[in-house]
Amino acid sequence: MPRLLSSALALRRDPRILKIPPYLSLLCILVGAVWLFLLPLNEYSRRTYISENALLPGQVHTYFGGSDQNVLRAYKQEVNSLVGKSNVEINDKLESIVRGLGLKTARQNFTYHAAGRTFEGENLYAILQAPRGDATEAIVLVAAWENVKHEVNKNGVPLVLTLARYFKRWSLWSKDIIILLSPDSIAAPQAWVDAYHDAHDSSRVASLPIKSGALQGAIAIDYVQENRFKSVHIVYDGVNGQLPNLDLINSVVNIAGGQMGMGVALQEMWNHNDKYPDRLRTMLRGMLKQGLGLASGPHSSFIPYHVDAVTLQPFGEGWQDEMAMGRVVEGTFRSLNNLLEHLHQSFFFYLLMHRERFVSIGTYLPSAMLVAANFTIMAIFLWMKSGQPEIPAASTTESSDKDDAPTPTTERDLFLPLAIVALSGSLSAIPLYIFNHVPESALTPLFYLFLLINTLFPITLSLTITTLFSPNLQQYHLVKSFSLLLLGMFLSSLATLNFSLAMLIGLLSAPLSFVKPSSSPVSRIVGFVLLNLTSPPAVLLASAAIWGLNVGDILREAAVAWHVTGTYSAVVVWCVWWPAWLAGCVCVLGRPGRDQEEEKKVKKA
Amino acid sequence: MRQLFSFALLSFVSFSSLLSSASAAAADYHEQLVLRPLPLSALLASFNFRSNTSLSEFEAHNFRFFPRSLGQILQHAGTQELHLRFSLGRWDSESWGARPWGGAREGGTGVELWAWLQAATDEEADHKWLTLTNALSGLFCASLNFIDGTRTTRPVMSFQPEGDHPNMTAADTHLLYGVLPHEVVCTENLTPFLKLLPCKGKAGIATLLDGHKLFDASWQSMAIDVKPICPAGAECVLQIELTIDMVLDIDRSKRPRGNPIPRPPPGHELPCNTSKSYHAPDTCFPTDHQANQDWTLSQIFGRTMKGTCPLTDPAVPPVCLHVPDSRSVFHSDGVLEKKNLDRVSRCFEIQPDVDFEIVLPAPEDELAVVVKPETPLLYAERSFTGHGQERGGVQTILHNPSPDTEVEFVYMESLPWFMRIYLHTMSARIQGQTAKDDSLIKEVYYRPAVDRARGTQLEVRMRVPPASTVFLTYDFEKSILRYTEYPPDANRGFDVAAAVITILSPAAYNLRTTSLLCSLPTPDFSMPYNVIIFTSTAIALAFGGMFNILVRRFVAADEGPEVGLAALKKRIQGRVGLLVEKLKKGKTGNVSDESGTKPDKFETVDTAQSIEGALKE
Repeated sequence: MPRLLSSALALRRDPRILKIPPYLSLLCILVGAVWLFLLPLNEYSRRTYISENALLPGQVHTYFGGSDQNVLRAYKQEVNSLVGKSNVEINDKLESIVRGLGLKTARQNFTYHAAGRTFEGENLYAILQAPRGDATEAIVLVAAWENVKHEVNKNGVPLVLTLARYFKRWSLWSKDIIILLSPDSIAAPQAWVDAYHDAHDSSRVASLPIKSGALQGAIAIDYVQENRFKSVHIVYDGVNGQLPNLDLINSVVNIAGGQMGMGVALQEMWNHNDKYPDRLRTMLRGMLKQGLGLASGPHSSFIPYHVDAVTLQPFGEGWQDEMAMGRVVEGTFRSLNNLLEHLHQSFFFYLLMHRERFVSIGTYLPSAMLVAANFTIMAIFLWMKSGQPEIPAASTTESSDKDDAPTPTTERDLFLPLAIVALSGSLSAIPLYIFNHVPESALTPLFYLFLLINTLFPITLSLTITTLFSPNLQQYHLVKSFSLLLLGMFLSSLATLNFSLAMLIGLLSAPLSFVKPSSSPVSRIVGFVLLNLTSPPAVLLASAAIWGLNVGDILREAAVAWHVTGTYSAVVVWCVWWPAWLAGCVCVLGRPGRDQEEEKKVKKA
Repeated sequence: MRQLFSFALLSFVSFSSLLSSASAAAADYHEQLVLRPLPLSALLASFNFRSNTSLSEFEAHNFRFFPRSLGQILQHAGTQELHLRFSLGRWDSESWGARPWGGAREGGTGVELWAWLQAATDEEADHKWLTLTNALSGLFCASLNFIDGTRTTRPVMSFQPEGDHPNMTAADTHLLYGVLPHEVVCTENLTPFLKLLPCKGKAGIATLLDGHKLFDASWQSMAIDVKPICPAGAECVLQIELTIDMVLDIDRSKRPRGNPIPRPPPGHELPCNTSKSYHAPDTCFPTDHQANQDWTLSQIFGRTMKGTCPLTDPAVPPVCLHVPDSRSVFHSDGVLEKKNLDRVSRCFEIQPDVDFEIVLPAPEDELAVVVKPETPLLYAERSFTGHGQERGGVQTILHNPSPDTEVEFVYMESLPWFMRIYLHTMSARIQGQTAKDDSLIKEVYYRPAVDRARGTQLEVRMRVPPASTVFLTYDFEKSILRYTEYPPDANRGFDVAAAVITILSPAAYNLRTTSLLCSLPTPDFSMPYNVIIFTSTAIALAFGGMFNILVRRFVAADEGPEVGLAALKKRIQGRVGLLVEKLKKGKTGNVSDESGTKPDKFETVDTAQSIEGALKE
């Protein structure tokens, strides 16, 4: 044992050990990226299964049909006559219908201000009290008047009304059923859920006049399609990449796919052949949505409150009608009604790649962790390196026989590096504030202005630092070390909350691990250009170009998400990624002053 | 024949009772069913059974109408007054109005029990309470024995004795109150209840009590009240009152029992609003929420009423119906219909041996279907605020509908110990005002919880001004339970009993809020097993290696025993040689000592190997 320790100590002093970390770091990134692409293989993913036995999906007969269709047609007529009317007129009419069914109704006003716009409206909701229940638990059925694409939910609203009438006839409900008819798909459900949990800002969102018990689950119906459909699309992404319990998705897959015989699609993969490319595409789409952290439907707002929710969208040309969709909802509600405990059995962290195939956190997390670890490894490496004097290249060859001499250490000058990292960190508040608080019309010009400033600012900053302080190589190492340490720390903790976002940011900021100050102006310029290509605004511009979107629209959505749903992706981009990028730019543009003083110090030592 | 005999016996008993106590004989037992149609096709059925026994006979164990099983328990536990409630569902006061009996015959969801016990000390009272709850638990097939110290409180302001207690002093009478909010009331509780009745469920209104219908009700409450009553100038009597109230959904109750599934009716039977422009054979705007005002007794209860109980006081009509006088009601033969003076109710006098049936046809006048329910004095709704598993809040919304009368009441919460309330956060404010109004709360009685021993008791005497809504809020912290303290369905949450609201003025009225489900921080229960398995594996691996190092003796290869085939051969040869030597020496009868050292050395090594082998197994 002592020999082992001493040999380890000797190894620590070995100058060759310092050559390993950059390669180790690169290896981490490569393994992390390759890991991700292995996940869709059969060996690394698993088949889904129902973990909560109480759910018993697809085990009940569904009776929604027959003359209920006559009622549905009548409600559809009523809803069609309301298209284009104001929110209050729509609610007046819908409320009279729901009240006629014998349900308790109430309304709630909300106003949100984001990106210079005002999102206001009035939620209408009704509580179908469990016939023998006592208001301790509830499940929610949501039909937004408009879906996320601002199409009128022409079939969804009548279907929900008909289902409410049908559910009223059953006496088996153990939980209250709340029917939420919201004017839109993002802000309105958010206002309602916030108010339900008393987490709302009462100056903008009104409190709910009537309430029921703890919410156990929610199903939203987004049924815009007029003609018969083929299968059901399950939208499950929550705000900030949070996901509903996998059991809920599995139940819907089981009921819609198994019992009703209609297919189920995920992540807009309308035709999925369950082969590697399709699985990978489904997974990457899911990761992209998760990484963006935006609300994808009325269900998204429920998930942060630990209420498992999905949106069901019928799609495709087929022979399934509204009644079939109603039976899917009926079956799912019967399953949720069976729940004795809040959904907790199955997975909350998963990546779905097919409706019956997933990977759980234990399998996929290492990839993001490895990418985040590369920054930490480099940070530690640079810290060690900064503590060793720069030995001239010639002397290393001679020093083979001075094994047991203690490695000379140098004082670290911490003030300037810490100040630079702190400055870049605090400057990040500026873009975060600006992009979340300017009106929509100013977003696009402001973005291009920012892009320009973002390109010029590191040059100015670097010039200022070099002229004022003339930092040496050690200080540049320390700047990079601190910024990478922070980046690695943030990304590894973020990976447990929002895996995809941590993975995306980690891969995009991977070049920051390998930038270093150079004495040749050419390599400085090349390095700076390369870094600018991976700067946050450049990536935003590039992704807008790839998906054919307007940059202004993306920024508006981000600002709305920030104000309405509390999406924190902007914080990660501006306060984690951007400062690290800025510090990287300072390093790459740095001209380490070859101070005479330091050389003297080395000679003395 | 047997029926006749029992009837004769019963009449003999009642006759003899007439002889023994002539004064109270007529009022010894009576039963009455009040039917009250409510808006939204609901029907309230209130069954009331009341019997008296004089205290002297009760003390002499002379039970007649008083159930012996219950009487003995009460005597044994020194109970002076008892109130037991089994409730399910919620009373929808917005549609149904004021509660039956002024809310005095109902409890919160689950089981509620409060009693005045005679005991010299608190400890004696606790002991008697334990006896009482355990005995009642057996009698009513309910988990009343789970009313332990953590679920028992001693209310100060909320409950007052209903009976007359001339000899009662505050020192030796203790009021104890226990509640089980998670108890599911079911048919197993109904059967023992019916057994307490003089006619069981065989005759009279009790024949209508069918478990299937009772437990399909939207709201139902079974109550047992035992209290002494001392009329002026007469002997005190002990009165037992058994009450069952239920609100039936007419639509649901009319479904035949064999086919309870609410399949959609055929299209042509669907009542439609034909005035709609789009009305067509396949398009129908339904109007059926106004329907189902026609019903018969046998449709609702699944059977007709089998005569009257022969023991009942004939002066009290067994069935009364609250519908406007203008509504026509048909009844079976042998029944006398008497309209009351208030013009909104009528009663039926029934011959003892006829089957009773009433039929309410669909009303011609849509407005005069039901008697408009009374407005309750107060509406109360309680819910949790906040989210997360660390803290929470409770908000009770109290609305006084009266335009001119202030309501004063006592609001009582008995909370489990793991909800630690912050009393300083308790505040009341009137809707529309942001600042809290201290004048609303008049008096607070607070008994803090003791972990694992006692729950929180909070009684607040407060007022609600006319035509206003008051928000009473307080915050609490959720404690973390011990691993073994979680029930099997830990993720369901923990039930919090209903708050009891006792209105003091302008009139006596009781109401209860709904119960709540409080989710506590719950560990992932599969995690401990994972941890156990993981640590066991780690320890087994580390221990195996470590133990090996500790007990194994390291020797250089040339010093140690040789290994390989040659060594084995050598060893066997050695053993054989030894054996041969032994045999030779055995013949001579002399055993040498010198061969002791070498095998000993081998033995140590072998021991280590065998221990290692055992570990591997």
